Amino acid sequence: MVCLYVGSTRGYSGKNLTVMGLGQRFLRDGLKVGYLKPFGRLPVKMEGVLTDQDAWFIHRVLMLKDPVETLCPVVMTHDLMMEGLRGECPGLGQKILAAFDAVSKEKDVVLVGGAGKLESGTFLDISGYDIIEKLNASTLLVDDYEGEFYLDSMLDARHRLGKRLLGAIINRVDAGYLDRLQDLIVPCLEREGIPVFGLLPDDAVLGSVMIGDVVDTLVGDVLCCRNKLDGLIEHFLIGGMQVDRALEYIRKTRNNAVIVGGDRADVQLAAIEAMTQCLILTGNLYPNEIVVSRAELKGIPIVVVRADTYSVAKKVEELSRKLRLKEKEKVYYGIQLIEEKVDFQRLYETLGINV
Amino acid sequence: MLDHFFNPSSVAVVGASQTPGKIGYDILNNVLQHGYRGAVYPINPKAKEILGRKTYADLVSVPFDIDLAVIALPAAAVMKVIEQCGRKKIDSVVIISAGFKEVGPHGARLEEELAGLAGKLGIRVVGPNCLGLIDTKSSLNASFAAGMPLGGNIGFFSQSGALCVAILDWALGENVGFSRFVSLGNKMDISETEMMLAMEQDENTRVILGYLESIEDGPPFMKAARQVAQEKPIIVIKSGTTTAGAKAASSHTGALAGSEHAYDAAFKQSGIIRAQSMQALFSYAMAFASQPLPRGARLAIITNSGGPGILAADACDRSSLHLSPIRKETADRLREFLPPTASVYNPIDIIGDASHERYEKTLSVVVQDEFIHAILILLTPTASVDPKAVAHSIVKLARDADKPIMTSFMGEKKVRAARKILQDHAIPSYDYPEDAIAALDAMLSYRRWREKPERQCRVFEADTRKVREIFASVIGQRRHDLIESEAREILRAYGFRLPESRMARTTKEALGAASEIGYPIVMKIASPDVLHKSDIGGVRVKLENEAMVEEAFFDITSNIQVRRPEARILGVMVQEMIPQGREVILGITRDLQFGPMIMFGLGGIYVEVLKDVSFRIAPLSVESADAMIHEIRSFPLLRGVRGELPADIEGIKDALVRLSQMAIDFPEIIEADINPLLVCAEGQGAVAVDARITIQE
Repeated sequence: MVCLYVGSTRGYSGKNLTVMGLGQRFLRDGLKVGYLKPFGRLPVKMEGVLTDQDAWFIHRVLMLKDPVETLCPVVMTHDLMMEGLRGECPGLGQKILAAFDAVSKEKDVVLVGGAGKLESGTFLDISGYDIIEKLNASTLLVDDYEGEFYLDSMLDARHRLGKRLLGAIINRVDAGYLDRLQDLIVPCLEREGIPVFGLLPDDAVLGSVMIGDVVDTLVGDVLCCRNKLDGLIEHFLIGGMQVDRALEYIRKTRNNAVIVGGDRADVQLAAIEAMTQCLILTGNLYPNEIVVSRAELKGIPIVVVRADTYSVAKKVEELSRKLRLKEKEKVYYGIQLIEEKVDFQRLYETLGINV
Repeated sequence: MLDHFFNPSSVAVVGASQTPGKIGYDILNNVLQHGYRGAVYPINPKAKEILGRKTYADLVSVPFDIDLAVIALPAAAVMKVIEQCGRKKIDSVVIISAGFKEVGPHGARLEEELAGLAGKLGIRVVGPNCLGLIDTKSSLNASFAAGMPLGGNIGFFSQSGALCVAILDWALGENVGFSRFVSLGNKMDISETEMMLAMEQDENTRVILGYLESIEDGPPFMKAARQVAQEKPIIVIKSGTTTAGAKAASSHTGALAGSEHAYDAAFKQSGIIRAQSMQALFSYAMAFASQPLPRGARLAIITNSGGPGILAADACDRSSLHLSPIRKETADRLREFLPPTASVYNPIDIIGDASHERYEKTLSVVVQDEFIHAILILLTPTASVDPKAVAHSIVKLARDADKPIMTSFMGEKKVRAARKILQDHAIPSYDYPEDAIAALDAMLSYRRWREKPERQCRVFEADTRKVREIFASVIGQRRHDLIESEAREILRAYGFRLPESRMARTTKEALGAASEIGYPIVMKIASPDVLHKSDIGGVRVKLENEAMVEEAFFDITSNIQVRRPEARILGVMVQEMIPQGREVILGITRDLQFGPMIMFGLGGIYVEVLKDVSFRIAPLSVESADAMIHEIRSFPLLRGVRGELPADIEGIKDALVRLSQMAIDFPEIIEADINPLLVCAEGQGAVAVDARITIQE
């Protein structure tokens, strides 16, 4: 039985997607797969059991049959955090081991999903490092390439994990950067004994944000076209310019949403004419009725939020970086990408798995 | 006060010109032409004599004392003249010249320097950038307006010079007279505040009228207005209330137009009557200038035609007046001479064939009826009536009347002469009955305001030291928004009733708190980063047992953790749940002109969707608090509907006044909301359930 820990040095780098992509392929190749996320930070109660939202989602996508209790043995609720800060919760490591034992029975591969970065959970004695050691796992590190200091993080991980570091997958690679990565960075890592199993491109679809998520995060009030909230937005535009410029600007941007003050009827109407996917009105200002009717006619949802334009832009930027797993389209698209870009043959060889 | 402006014994016109059409000529001409009997000194280095008067090279060359100087020179030259005024000990100056604050930053700087110099020399200034001023009693026209208004008892001041010109012309056409007529211009020194006070003291002024775009310093304005309005009615039209208007106003004299709510509240609290249009301004003036204030709201309408009578009755209904019931004695007396088809009940319809005699008899009876507080006489020019004769009858009977009499002779050609007769004898004459009713309404409101003198505000014992501590701590942490527990402490310091509350950082602590406080309880997220708790699933109410408390703690903390991962969660606030009560909202906001403003409204949709709120400027008297509560449209809901008990209005008043004191005591509070204040039934008080306070250094 192979235990593969999927972690990251930085967080929000695509671990969940990688787990799903690997899991799907393993299952298709006939392997018996188990999955757990030792330490989760998004508490939710499913079937009466406390677990982690992302873990639950992955469990369902991979259609696994293991009991919910084993999915996420340590869930960070507010209570747990308080206990942790007071030093009142020993034995979390044991819980994780117990869950792992239950999940790994009769499995060929167990995928272990890391939370955040390798250090996350240190204050509870269940950091990524702790878990990898306890479970004697091989580690795959998934990270965005954000500059040469990526190398520093990788080499540091190598130093700490030693032989347990299996290799890396580099995510969100800008098309213009691909050459440099392939010519310089990858060979550098390989020379250091860190195999690179795949380069995942920066993808507009994957970076897109669902309108419904924007509504949720910003606590928006949806004025019309509630059935359009599952639309995906690739680009957010700020409608601060003169109306005639706005029209051009909006028309030539694909799958956009326009963020503008609620009192700017001129820009709002222009955005609707230019067929934006969504209007986000800021400052808790409700638009004139004529704007709402036109939007309704064209099937464009309007969301009114309390925050100001800058805060909205910031939030939306954050959202775009985090893959919200409930967006099914994106997930399946992402899994596809992993299938295409990861060198599974090399992975199987390195793991010692025969298919 | 300001005597040298309005009744100087000598006037110098600096920049007097020999050329007709130039401002320097027009001003001098005006001073000389309209009967002024004091000494006049034209100043112009290039002339020996203008319009028959010896002309001097400069002020210093004049060998006599000068009370008032009027300056009409280019802006750059004014400074020197002011210096000379100082040397000549001239203490009152009108600066006509433009080119100061209204043209931009360069002009603003010049104006600042000028103000500094004038202040240093003890010189009072009207203007700059103004039309000038006129006093009809002393026959002084120190302006470049075309013409001289008729004498009268209306004192008028305006921020716009050009408007003054239009009004002067209109007034001449309508036979409206003024006691004083002042164009304030840029208000570098003398503003509307002092002008109001000066007109209060002027025995020739009975009504004060004003056109304003902005008020520089709110609190002294309100204080002065309150004082003056006790004596004489002040009617003001304030422009710049719509955003379009405000933009225009901002560029007009470089002033900030100010918020509509604040001005509205300020006027209400000072007893200023606000006119919504120029037409209303003067139609109110006509009434206030000549008629006694009505002692009550009972109006009698006398008409010779049903239609206009009904229109007037409708307008009456929409106002605070009402159609008076006609008492038996009066009805009987009327029946003695009115035809059977006439109506002796209000509106008193003396029908189309009425002659002036019938009008006179009817009016005589109605005037004598003490039950009736005001009379409106309508006339349509039928074949049987001679409008001029009716006018004369009215004039005759109005002479000894102790109630206001208003007229509306409808039409134009046939009634023009009659209208003139009424106007000449100070009987207000309106083209349409609605205008007459509006004027009467204003008069009644003013009277009611005058009869209710504002009492002193109550002063509460407050733990100001505690408040200062908390504010210091918040600022020290580089925050501006208080978290709920801090806001509660502030309210507690001011004597507000608060629900029992405990912080809980874990489920266990929450259970403990709930059992201490007693079920049912309410639970809210405690986080400095979450301001609108209920929007984001951060509040649970009506938790009745331990299981519900556990679930709620998990739900609330997880919710915020997931939706706002960056928020610092301190735990939850476990609070006593107040039984049935009506939700109201109280608030503090800051207005640039008037300072702290208190807001009141019924909670939830009433404020958010219907915007049914009232405002008053702090400090709030108990009367203002009362007025604020009664003013909102949904007030009847507080009185109780469908068998509900009335809400504790006294409790709301108490809360409003405490909040007002807090706003005054702590200018660092820029915004605050008590939302909701749960108001229990009469006698059971009100509880501040949640509050937000925002401060600045």
